[in-house]
Amino acid sequence: MARNKYDIDEELEAQFNWAQFKRLIGYIKPYGKTIGITVVFMIVASIANLLGPYLTKIAIDDKIPQKDINGLVLLAGIYLAALFVNAVCLKYRIRSMTDIGQSVVANIRSDLFEHLQKLPFSYYDSRPHGKILVRVINYVNSLSDLLSNGIINLITDLCSLVMIIVFMLIVDVKLTLICMAGLPALLLAVLAVKNAQRRATQVLSRKQSNLNAYIHESICGIKVTQSFAREAENLKIFKDLCQIYRKAWMHFVRIVFLLWPIIDNISVVTVSMVYVVGISWIGQGVTVGVLVAFVGYIWRFWMPIMNIGNFYNNIITAMANLERIFETLDEKPNVTNLPGAYVMPEIKGDVAFSNVSFQYEEGDQVLNNVSFRVNQGETVALVGPTGAGKTTIISLLSRFYNIETGTIMIDGMDISKATLESLRRQMGVMLQDTFIFSGTIMDNIRYGKLDATDDQVIKSAKAVKAHELIMGLKDGYYTQVNERGSRLSVGQRQLISFARALLADPKILILDEATSSIDSKTELALQEGLGRLLEGRTSFIIAHRLSTIKNASRIMYIDSGRIIEEGTHTELLLKKGAYWKLYTAQFSFLEVV
Amino acid sequence: MAFKWVWNQLKGYRLRMGCGLLIVLAASALGMVNPYLSGTIVDKVIVDQQYKLLIPLLAVIIGATLSRAVIRYSFQMIFESVSQNLLLNIRVKMFSKLQELDFDFYDKTRTGDIMNRLTYDTDTVRHFVAWVIYNVFENGMIFIFAIGMLFWINPLLALIMLLVTPITAFFAIRLANDVKPTFFAIREQLSRLNSVVQENISGNRVVKAFAKEDYEIRKFSIENQAYKQKNVDSARVWEKYLPVLDSMAGVLIALIILAGGIMVSNGSLTIGELVAFNSFIWALTNPIRMAGWLINDTQRFAASGERVVELLETEPKIKDSGSPVAKDEIQGKIEFHNVCFSYGDEEVLENVHLTVEPGQTIAVIGPTGSGKSTLMNLICRFYECTSGKLLIDGINIRDFELKTLRDNIAVAMQDIFLFSDTIEGNIAYGVPGATMQDIIHAAEAAGANDFIARFPEGYDTIIGERGVGLSGGQKQRIALARALLKNPPILILDDVTSSVDMETEYEIQHMLNELYGSRTTFIIAHRISSVKNADLIIVLDNGKIIEQGTHQELLNKKGYYYSVFVNQFGDFDNIYGTEAG
Repeated sequence: MARNKYDIDEELEAQFNWAQFKRLIGYIKPYGKTIGITVVFMIVASIANLLGPYLTKIAIDDKIPQKDINGLVLLAGIYLAALFVNAVCLKYRIRSMTDIGQSVVANIRSDLFEHLQKLPFSYYDSRPHGKILVRVINYVNSLSDLLSNGIINLITDLCSLVMIIVFMLIVDVKLTLICMAGLPALLLAVLAVKNAQRRATQVLSRKQSNLNAYIHESICGIKVTQSFAREAENLKIFKDLCQIYRKAWMHFVRIVFLLWPIIDNISVVTVSMVYVVGISWIGQGVTVGVLVAFVGYIWRFWMPIMNIGNFYNNIITAMANLERIFETLDEKPNVTNLPGAYVMPEIKGDVAFSNVSFQYEEGDQVLNNVSFRVNQGETVALVGPTGAGKTTIISLLSRFYNIETGTIMIDGMDISKATLESLRRQMGVMLQDTFIFSGTIMDNIRYGKLDATDDQVIKSAKAVKAHELIMGLKDGYYTQVNERGSRLSVGQRQLISFARALLADPKILILDEATSSIDSKTELALQEGLGRLLEGRTSFIIAHRLSTIKNASRIMYIDSGRIIEEGTHTELLLKKGAYWKLYTAQFSFLEVV
Repeated sequence: MAFKWVWNQLKGYRLRMGCGLLIVLAASALGMVNPYLSGTIVDKVIVDQQYKLLIPLLAVIIGATLSRAVIRYSFQMIFESVSQNLLLNIRVKMFSKLQELDFDFYDKTRTGDIMNRLTYDTDTVRHFVAWVIYNVFENGMIFIFAIGMLFWINPLLALIMLLVTPITAFFAIRLANDVKPTFFAIREQLSRLNSVVQENISGNRVVKAFAKEDYEIRKFSIENQAYKQKNVDSARVWEKYLPVLDSMAGVLIALIILAGGIMVSNGSLTIGELVAFNSFIWALTNPIRMAGWLINDTQRFAASGERVVELLETEPKIKDSGSPVAKDEIQGKIEFHNVCFSYGDEEVLENVHLTVEPGQTIAVIGPTGSGKSTLMNLICRFYECTSGKLLIDGINIRDFELKTLRDNIAVAMQDIFLFSDTIEGNIAYGVPGATMQDIIHAAEAAGANDFIARFPEGYDTIIGERGVGLSGGQKQRIALARALLKNPPILILDDVTSSVDMETEYEIQHMLNELYGSRTTFIIAHRISSVKNADLIIVLDNGKIIEQGTHQELLNKKGYYYSVFVNQFGDFDNIYGTEAG
């Protein structure tokens, strides 16, 4: 899959369709009852509101000319009561509207996040992280207003529209039909704008995504930027991205803001038609009374229609973000539990690869028919040039990717049929990329085993020789670090993630360049300490420092996706093959021989 | 704070804003035409049967609607355009500030928090300028206009109406005060939510490796629910006041019925005046109804605005001195005079004393956490020495312009960060205009050309954020090429070959020697093979230089360096023994 970067738009294959809208409705459905009740409250409120003008009319027409002060007090009293009812309804509306809107938003976000947890590395590797972030945070937030106010208003408007139409039909059928004559024009206008609006909102959402990606990367990579004194150049790029976003925004509002005036004008023209036709029909079945009553309704007929038009407008706008959210939700996680996957029992540590082949991308074969067996308790070192496939082999062991052919067995059980959680939980993986979460060092180590006590955490840190180092920091284990690692050096971070891996009490330990930035003295002490701890556990080590490698019980030399040599340090030296060359090379590089 | 600041930001746009506001007035005046003329049509045309008036009246209505549409559209465009310009300016200012903030700031601030300021907070400011301002103005003007009209019709009744105003104002102010903290809470919580998601995405490999998806989901759910809760909490405040404000608007109508009725009864007001009065009352009630919502939006703006201002006002501790020396070319002589450095109470470097001549290669070796990278960070002035002096070419490092200083130093940091860009773009990061030839040269010197050329898309291959998808050794070599392309007088290579196999490292070293031998070069490494050819090797332990000398000198010393050597080549004799056997 082609990777994406900040200045490449993410094209979207999915077309706008009502299925997406229906899917959204699916999120709202559970709150149907509350929405129904709210709509009832809203109708009650609008009736209470309508009392105002009516009571004023009674006051002016009857009570005041009759100087009926008691009557006025009564009217005012009734109105105040109506106000109270209105206030209660409004309060209920605000409450339920927020609850529903926020709940739906929280639910969508939570579905999105949970789904993201299932997506494979390749999903994360193929696009800037800021573009994933923008979906979970910004896009989802953009829905909240549509979901709370929008839906309730829509239903209320639909209700009042139906009521008004019924009233109008009772008063005069012909005039009602004329009144609706504007609807086709309205529909036409909406459809005409729709496509342009769709495109504009999609462009806007992509530009926002690009901008977000750039901001995110700029923050994460700030140290590189400053060390290369590239601030001015980045600022220029950022400015360009902002300009592009601005342009997209202006284009978007230019179109979106068109709709309201168009509807407004159509409504006024239609109303004028009713006046003209109505007046010309006076005496021909239309009475003055009917006409007066009718024109009183006609504005109320158009008001909800304009609101609905507006809602439609918002839907189209939200769709651009919504389809991105659904696109992510529809992303297929390719590494999943197979149907009927079993829970991996406690691993003893026998590992067998048989005829395993693998490629990340079509045509780029990384592993070719790799077969080997490792017994419980063995320490296997993988050596070989960069890009040979060492990391791939151990990634497959944790089933981070699915293999194409062959099988990988642990204790004689096919790992592809085990649940991911039960498999990975028993593996202690220390990756090349150490990642430190923001929080304390204590929390970071505890990540390996969430219910570990402080003592266990410290014990594990001591085992990897990180204890003194951590104690040397200002707040010891409670020193706050952040996801960029703060001031921890890579070596320190490696030790912390090592402690984290160890705390998980893994049955199989995988160290991928886990100690490359740790000084060799610490590493040696570490190995000695680990010796006891790792007894009986199977471990895989990838390293370039030969002192790390040579104590392994078995060394595999990997090149171009194949194991070309295998044996102990001494055996391989005797072979005088690739490993021997590698090993003796370090002395020739020293140029002391 | 936020208001004054946004007012200053609007400099240059104030005239356009002013015009926009005038047009708003025109639009709201036009808005009164239709209801008025509709009334006339009913009264005059339909009831009084003056049919001739119909067409002209309708023409006026349609004309008014059309012109209002045009006017409305144009002022909306004015406000959108001004707010977009403002948004752009603010974002650029913030981004520019972020470029100059020092490592100290980044060590303490979460990415999610900064993201939140640049996206959510700035957007809230935009909304304020694009929408809230003119609505406040429009409603305020209508309110004042209505009061004027009412006073003109009957001052006493108008005064009675105004009795409601202090009560409304009281509730409005209460709302403003109560709701503000809830918006602060919302945006703080959003920042936390943002951080959790951001870290989860960036740390996705660790999450999967430890099968901690469920834990991550729990962690996320807490923040997600909390965010929902903060929004609900905020709404709990509105729901207390908004209905009250809405009712206040209604009370006005009740007052008209009662007080107006009484006044008509006792003759101090005519029915006609009361009707006229009544027809203006909407102009009082609507602004009151809107007040609550506008207050909400305003306070939301205030909460976000303060966050934006806070970032903009953060001053980097490390910045150019008032009168930096004018010097573009650096020779590369570096002197540390009793340099100490500590993070808070935690001492990292102690009395470092070191002189490096131009062109020398200095290797630094020592235990994890001994201060090696910190020493390099001081040379780049990413942090400031706590005490002592650091001179480059005899000039105090603080007297250089930061840009000059960093332009003359190329660092390949141990903590490699590659951008999600093409390999070409990554290598050319420090020299944006570099030719392809130069880029390939640098890649060759860094031992990266071979593997890059093997990628199907070669130098155009886009790499994932942070360089995922590449092996450790590949990343290191790209980062090295990136530093080499800059070709500066001072080169700092912090642990750049630790994940590269020995053979490649050897080749890289030769290339470096040949091509970059004349630069002052610092090499931090753990492998003896990486450091042994240096002109000077220093051993750092616990922030102090404990040994220094050449490879041979240090071996003879039989100290730390020697013991490292033995660790790595311990069975030096063995192997030859094996070979012999």
